[in-house]
Amino acid sequence: MQKNQKLQTFKIIDSDTPPLLEVHNLTKRYKTAAGETPALNSVQFSISQGEFVAVIGKSGAGKSTLVNLISGITQPTSGEIYFQQQPIHNLTEDEKALWRGKHLGIVFQFFQLLPSLNLIENITMPMDLCHSFPLRQQKARALHLLEQVGIVEHAYKHPAKISGGQQQRVAIARALANDPELIVADEPTGNLDSRTAAEIFDLFASLVDQGKTILVVTHDKEIKKYATRIIELVDGEIAGDYPVESLTRCEADGNPVQKVVSFQPTQTKPLGYWGGLP
Amino acid sequence: MILPTRWIKIFKDMWSNPSRSLIVIFSIAIGIASVGMITNAARIVQRDLYGQYSAGNPSRLSIYISGFPKELANSVAGMREVADAQARRTLSASLIETDDKKYDISMDVLADYQNIRINRYNVDKGAATPSTREILLERITARELGLDVGDKITVEIDNERRYELTVAGIIHDVYILPMTIFGDAFGYISMDTLEWMGETSYYDRLDIVTSENPGDKTHVLNVGATIRDRVIEPAGYHVMRIAIPGVGSRPGDHWAHDQIKGFLLILQIMGILAVFLSSGIVINTVSAILVQQIKQIGILRSIGAVRSQVAGMYLANVLVFSVIGLVIGLPLGLAGATWLSYFAANFLNFDVARIDLPFNIALLQIGIGLIMPTGAAAFPILSGTRIPVYDAIYQYGLNNHSKVSQFEKLFSKLRSIKPHLTLSLRNTFRKKSRLIFTLVTLTLAGAMFIASFSTRDSLKAQIKEVEHYTVFDASLDIPGGANRSTVLREAMRIPGITLAEAWSESTGVFVGADNRESEEFTIVGLPYNSQTIHPIMIKGTWLQGSGIPQVVVNADLIESKPDIKVGDYVNLKVGDHKRQFQVIGITSKHLFGSRIYMDAESYTRLTGKQNQVETVRVIAVPGKPGKPAFQDSIARQLEERFKNAGLSNSIATTQNSFFNSFTDIFNIILLVLMIMAGVLAIVGGLGLTGTMGINILERTREIGVLRAIGAANAAVLQVVVIEGLVVSLLSWVFGALISAPVSPALAAIVIYAILNTKLNFRYSFEGLLIWLAIVVVIGILSSLAPARRAARLRVREVLDYE
Repeated sequence: MQKNQKLQTFKIIDSDTPPLLEVHNLTKRYKTAAGETPALNSVQFSISQGEFVAVIGKSGAGKSTLVNLISGITQPTSGEIYFQQQPIHNLTEDEKALWRGKHLGIVFQFFQLLPSLNLIENITMPMDLCHSFPLRQQKARALHLLEQVGIVEHAYKHPAKISGGQQQRVAIARALANDPELIVADEPTGNLDSRTAAEIFDLFASLVDQGKTILVVTHDKEIKKYATRIIELVDGEIAGDYPVESLTRCEADGNPVQKVVSFQPTQTKPLGYWGGLP
Repeated sequence: MILPTRWIKIFKDMWSNPSRSLIVIFSIAIGIASVGMITNAARIVQRDLYGQYSAGNPSRLSIYISGFPKELANSVAGMREVADAQARRTLSASLIETDDKKYDISMDVLADYQNIRINRYNVDKGAATPSTREILLERITARELGLDVGDKITVEIDNERRYELTVAGIIHDVYILPMTIFGDAFGYISMDTLEWMGETSYYDRLDIVTSENPGDKTHVLNVGATIRDRVIEPAGYHVMRIAIPGVGSRPGDHWAHDQIKGFLLILQIMGILAVFLSSGIVINTVSAILVQQIKQIGILRSIGAVRSQVAGMYLANVLVFSVIGLVIGLPLGLAGATWLSYFAANFLNFDVARIDLPFNIALLQIGIGLIMPTGAAAFPILSGTRIPVYDAIYQYGLNNHSKVSQFEKLFSKLRSIKPHLTLSLRNTFRKKSRLIFTLVTLTLAGAMFIASFSTRDSLKAQIKEVEHYTVFDASLDIPGGANRSTVLREAMRIPGITLAEAWSESTGVFVGADNRESEEFTIVGLPYNSQTIHPIMIKGTWLQGSGIPQVVVNADLIESKPDIKVGDYVNLKVGDHKRQFQVIGITSKHLFGSRIYMDAESYTRLTGKQNQVETVRVIAVPGKPGKPAFQDSIARQLEERFKNAGLSNSIATTQNSFFNSFTDIFNIILLVLMIMAGVLAIVGGLGLTGTMGINILERTREIGVLRAIGAANAAVLQVVVIEGLVVSLLSWVFGALISAPVSPALAAIVIYAILNTKLNFRYSFEGLLIWLAIVVVIGILSSLAPARRAARLRVREVLDYE
């Protein structure tokens, strides 16, 4: 019983506030010449505003597929995605683009900045596309965001003239351009050294402190220092979903986490990705 | 001014690849300029040349009469069918520049210089009316001979009497065949001057304008017959011939009307081709831009751009190109039109009234300039922006398509082919629309090239055939004619000459059952067993003997009188003499115009000219004309002997110089055609380079994979170059197929434009082979740059494809 008492149980979604993002039975299968390849299988969870969620898992676990589905970049084979209780999964490509522009910021592993534009212009581009800020205010906002991510001194440079870490900061500033509720990042530190990666995670953490919601897909073990919640994917299914607080507590107690509770259904599989907690 | 970021991106993208932007801008500008140049020049030429031509009240009909007083013109002018009639006299002479340098000159006399009503000229400089011992020179003559008002010229009449005339004025006569083209000088003199030069005072030509249907050839010729029957012949004058002025034109048409039409047609084809090619380059380049920016399109879509915004950006980009293209193309087109108009004005002797750009042509150019590029770019833009965001960001460059085409299945079965060759062949057929565009351009270039060669070969073959009709070393015209035996005696005195023939020549017409006369043609009287002509008989036989009323016609004549058959009897009329002959044969075409051959005796019976000949032909070895240098030497001796004998002051023609004069004209037009084919080949090559570049971009990762699994530089190069070669060889095959119908059509258009006749067509297999060599070079050169770029890619960067 004492042992049982040490088991930590958390319910992440328990308030009356509706979740920011809800994912129901999300399934994705890719069609290839060799036939259909499953990437995600009946995944479901929800994310509330202000969470810093990290999706972890081995290569091929379906992490990037999940991010692409949530951001509307790919279409699910089945399942539903709701953002602020509005269905996203059945929007047309253009409606999804509009939705992304207003509500979601994306950060890619390879930054994906527009090479011909300087940093300010890279950030004003989403504002121009979505008409979210008057033309006269766009530059000031871009400078403000560059200041926020700490590279305002490079504002007039082109992406090729700054380092990878700096480019990723610009990508984050661009993701923030239209002041979206949710920021989704796919391996944002995959192409960066560990010190720069830490700076990027710091930046995400500070954004969460400012009320943003962040979903990040990563291989980086350091994420547990920053995220508030970890979702582990194994072979396209959620193998674990738990608040990082619990991990840290278990780690401190020297007890392995044997059970985590997440949004329905409750997951009971042990953590596998890091071979148990470090 | 603050620009929206999308516009900044458009301008920066344009600036980031200036060479590509310039290619698009210049392609658009060239398309716009070509259309403007050709359409506007055609308008200016038609407005000013035809305008000036009709403003001077062109003669619709010329009646050549055997000497008449000017009062006859008044009687004719009084007829109900005639709007106006004007008397004219033409005196042929030589204009002596130096003793060695002479020009044929026509000196015309008008009855009343104060009141010229038909074929009016304009005075450029000096007097409008020539006084005694004065001449008004046509401005081309004055320019060519460097003469001005106040200068003196010497004219020689009948090779003996020389007179000095003062140039009193320089006039512009648009009805005269310009000296630059036809070689004859021209001037107006007064009847007093004519009499002073020892000539009898009479007129020999009536210029007529009919009161009704002045453009209807049949009507106009009928009016001519009525004038002859009702006024001229009852008044006791003989009508030599009735003819429509010009070269086979309709009454009132400019003498070069058909040729101008032909050249304008060729120019219009070039204009359409230019627009087609420039839109092709736009499609190709915009495709290249899109392929290069597919990932950026994905990024834009991921940060909130809807498809219409992205498509709008790229269309706006093309529109900016179009506007810049218009800014360059409009003035360039006007400059081109100016050049072409002045070139035509100089060639055809008319004045360009003004250079302007009318609203409708500007609108056409703007329309083409805006619609052509955006329309051409719409397809690649719409298809490029349709690509799913995920594919645009993550999949592009790998070409992991799942559909396997029939071609690919076929190539995979070819087991004896090396794997990288199979890859090249499969690559070629992956993007069919792009392949088709490149193929179309190169195929068109090939077809044009082969067609140009075939046109050349057809002309060459025709010229070769003409050799059968000019089996001599030298030939000399004897203006005014001379006695046959005198001519032959003088010719045979030239050392080395073993054969001399004297030919007679007249202008004649067919007379129909209703007494109606046909168009004019040349009647040649020659020895029936002539050895200086080896005619190619299409039908029937050559002349059989002396004094038999039989004739042989040439195919040139049959073209205008297709109803004439071998065995038919025809009534021929020369001057006042009429006689019936049987047509016994038809010879092949020989570019001398419509001709009828008859033996010398029959000719004498028809024309009444006893032993009078107009041409002498000489040869050293019968049947075997000598080398050009030998022919030149014979020609010089012939000229000298006939000049000394007082028989002729003309310049002798050698068989060789005769052909050179032909080939010179053809070479110009063939050069234009070859330039067109060359431009097409360059564009096709650029298209292929662009296509190969896009293909490489699209398959960057695939190349990386090839490199990663051990493909050496040479292997990567080989894959790309073979692909380029496959495309160019395919275009060669299609070009060969398409040239089969295109070549005869082009040859027919060009030959008709120059010669106003049709020729037998010969397909140029030489052209086909040369084009094969060219496409191989194009294929290799076009793919080398992209191939080297591909081979330089490092595995790491390729696989990242960032």
